[in-house]
Amino acid sequence: MSSLGRAVGLLRAGTNALRRGPQKTVTRKAGGGPHIEPQYRQYPQVTKNQKIQAEILSSTMWFWILWHFWHSSDDVLGHFAWPDASQWTDEELGIPADDEE
Amino acid sequence: MAGVGFQRWVRTLSKGKISGISGLLPACRPASGVSKDMLPGAYPKTPEEIAAAAKKYNIRVEDYKPLADNGEGYGDYPQLPDKSQQDRDPTYQWDHPDLRRNWGEPMHWDFDMYIRNRVDTSPTVVPWSTMCKQLFGFLGFMMFMFYLGDKFPAYQPVGPKQFPFNNLHLERGGSPDVDPEEVKNYEI
Amino acid sequence: MHPTTLMYTSSLLLMFAILLYPLLVTFTSLPLNNDWASSHAKTAVKTAFLISLAPLSLFLSSGMETVTSSWTWMVTTTLDITLSFKFDYYSIIFIPIALYVTWSILEFATWYMHADPLINRFFKYLLTFLVAMLILVSANNLFQLFIGWEGVGIMSFLLIGWWHGRADANTAALQAVLYNRVGDIGLILGMAWLATNVNSWDIQQMFILSKNLDLTLPLLGLILAATGKSAQFGLHPWLPAAMEGPTPVSALLHSSTMVVAGIFLLIRLSPLMENNQTALSLCLCLGALTTMFTATCALTQNDIKKIVAFSTSSQLGLMMVTIGLNQPQLAFLHICTHAFFKAMLFLCSGSVIHSLNDEQDIRKMGGLHHLAPFTSSCLTVGSLALTGTPFLAGFFSKDAIIEALNTSQVNAWALTLTLIATSFTAIYSLRVIFFVTMGTPRFLPSSPINENNSAVINPLKRLAWGSIFGGLLIMLNTNLFKTPVLTMPTELKLAALAVSILGLLIALELATLTTKQLKVTPLQVSHHFSNSLGFIPAIIHRQAPQLSLILGQKIASQMVDQTWLEKTGPKAIANATTPLAAATSNIQQGLIKTYLTLFLITLILVTLISVA
Repeated sequence: MSSLGRAVGLLRAGTNALRRGPQKTVTRKAGGGPHIEPQYRQYPQVTKNQKIQAEILSSTMWFWILWHFWHSSDDVLGHFAWPDASQWTDEELGIPADDEE
Repeated sequence: MAGVGFQRWVRTLSKGKISGISGLLPACRPASGVSKDMLPGAYPKTPEEIAAAAKKYNIRVEDYKPLADNGEGYGDYPQLPDKSQQDRDPTYQWDHPDLRRNWGEPMHWDFDMYIRNRVDTSPTVVPWSTMCKQLFGFLGFMMFMFYLGDKFPAYQPVGPKQFPFNNLHLERGGSPDVDPEEVKNYEI
Repeated sequence: MHPTTLMYTSSLLLMFAILLYPLLVTFTSLPLNNDWASSHAKTAVKTAFLISLAPLSLFLSSGMETVTSSWTWMVTTTLDITLSFKFDYYSIIFIPIALYVTWSILEFATWYMHADPLINRFFKYLLTFLVAMLILVSANNLFQLFIGWEGVGIMSFLLIGWWHGRADANTAALQAVLYNRVGDIGLILGMAWLATNVNSWDIQQMFILSKNLDLTLPLLGLILAATGKSAQFGLHPWLPAAMEGPTPVSALLHSSTMVVAGIFLLIRLSPLMENNQTALSLCLCLGALTTMFTATCALTQNDIKKIVAFSTSSQLGLMMVTIGLNQPQLAFLHICTHAFFKAMLFLCSGSVIHSLNDEQDIRKMGGLHHLAPFTSSCLTVGSLALTGTPFLAGFFSKDAIIEALNTSQVNAWALTLTLIATSFTAIYSLRVIFFVTMGTPRFLPSSPINENNSAVINPLKRLAWGSIFGGLLIMLNTNLFKTPVLTMPTELKLAALAVSILGLLIALELATLTTKQLKVTPLQVSHHFSNSLGFIPAIIHRQAPQLSLILGQKIASQMVDQTWLEKTGPKAIANATTPLAAATSNIQQGLIKTYLTLFLITLILVTLISVA
């Protein structure tokens, strides 16, 4: 358990170091007004909210598609099978057998 | 607008410089007709006349070529290349960037046709004849295929349609006296 | 009056009143607030949407067919014109959808057009546009429909030419209005024919009275009208050109207003058409040609808005095919589902264009999946819905249309073209996704990427929910008048899906090829054909005005003037009198005595005759 905690701590430190980046001193406020300050060769300010909403949207779409595929796949694959005339027996068609005269 | 005109009118009258009808009329050029200096001059014949006409139209003498003197009243109006305004360089600093035109530049005789909203003469990727051939070939092919598709529709029924009442014998104008012949749809 | 009916009519009229209020306010001399656009115009549309839900739920729960409310407008001896609103299946379902989509678009426009000094006027135009469309949809007679029809026409002209300082925007606006005028000729022809032969413009009366008439001529007129308005082949070039307008305009124009008006006209008047085989097969072929041709054009466009515009045109062709199949209800369903995802695709492209400093070329985009995640998700959802991915909005209408096409006896070539176009839809949709959201960024390093604004996220989110759930919701609440064929061979059932998947695979293959630079542009001929829009603008837009303007110049300005002045007018008189004068003066020889004698003799003779 402790080793796991240590690993998580290390990971967190690593991600923090990564996130801090080589130089990230200017804080800008993305969002709010329609226009943001000019920026040059900087990663745009993507907020967590944005990412989560995007993920929710995409996952809802896939959930919706797959859930319906599971429950009502006949909308896609066909509701009723096309009758295959060669499989019909004489009995079903009411045709008397050949030897019956 | 009308107020201003009226004031000017009264002022003119009160000054009393001009008397009679001409004093009553606002001092402006009639809208109908063009003045003499706006009309093209006579067709130039001598080199001096040509030089004068070229100068009048702001063109170099080498570039100046009057429209054909075939009695249609072109006078000394220069024949300019048939190029539309859209065809001109969009990055050049034009005096009128929206018209792509410089101040004092001679206008093409058909200037109204070559403004940017109308006929465009800028070069195309593919030559004109190829374009026409491909477009009309495409249309012709489509028409032909629609004709074919109409002759051979996509839904091919397995057998002819069967209707009750002896294949709608009475409804199709058959005589009630004549018994229609029995149709056997299957055979065992 | 039945209470349900009363509530129906009153809530719908309240909706109209709420939409008209901000428009009427603009006629006062008081200056508008700076935030009039978002506080009044947008709120009015939102409120109207919420109100329009009431009649919708009443309609769905009570199973009512049609409520018509009419007031007499003017009475002539032969033709009564009434102010008559029809609230039936089509208008009751379409009005909330149009309001919902417009609400989202208006909210987006507060962000997109933020820097525009005339934003209030822009919103006023958008609102007028919407009101005109609602008048068209709820009209119960052709006269009222014509008012809405012309209303959307003129508003589209103003909105497409919004940036009228640019010559291209002016040209596009002029194209839109001129192509629509061609269509209007057809509508006026149809209306005039119906007024003379049926003596009524009321829709129900027309259906009853025209039972035994040959309707081919007015139907051709109506099809021409729909061709102009809904940009069918031949009158389509204005639709891609209309991309010169601001993106919210394109979104509104292509989703719920304007372009569907033509199809809606045919849906409204479909009982006239259902027994006329000529009109139906014309619709079918026209629609198939449109859907294939415009899908082909969309394949090689590089402007993101042009691609989306061509996809609209292609879907409109599909709707026309459905009208030709005599399935107006399916066409209507496709209008409804199409409104959601097409509006969303345009808003997404607007967001992308804004984020990349007004860059519209998809070759200069890329990698937006990480940089603008929400827009990219919406773009993907919209494209998938457009492609007809099962259970998203587009599937329910598109699949039904293609199944109906597959199972009816139909022109084989029209069927082939429609299936090819369906496949192409998948290709260009994937192409957009691939070039915009995937890969590495290819844009300038100073791009102000910022989608983190509620005026961007909220409209997109709303439309995305519509694109995901809308199809099923609309389909569940629809009673199709014509029973759909449910039994069919599996190949036919899966045909629509199969061609879409085929398209996706081809697109994926082609898209990965582009990253490898094997050949510069393979297949030059077909590339040029598709990229230059089938050479139609190059040929028609140059030849037709040149011919007419040259003829106009030669005939009106020169030949007519010359004829009057030189052949019949002053010069001709002068020329004609000169020989006469010369002849007369030659005769006059100065023989005064002879003249006087002749004069006297004549006088005497006359006197003698008159005395005797």
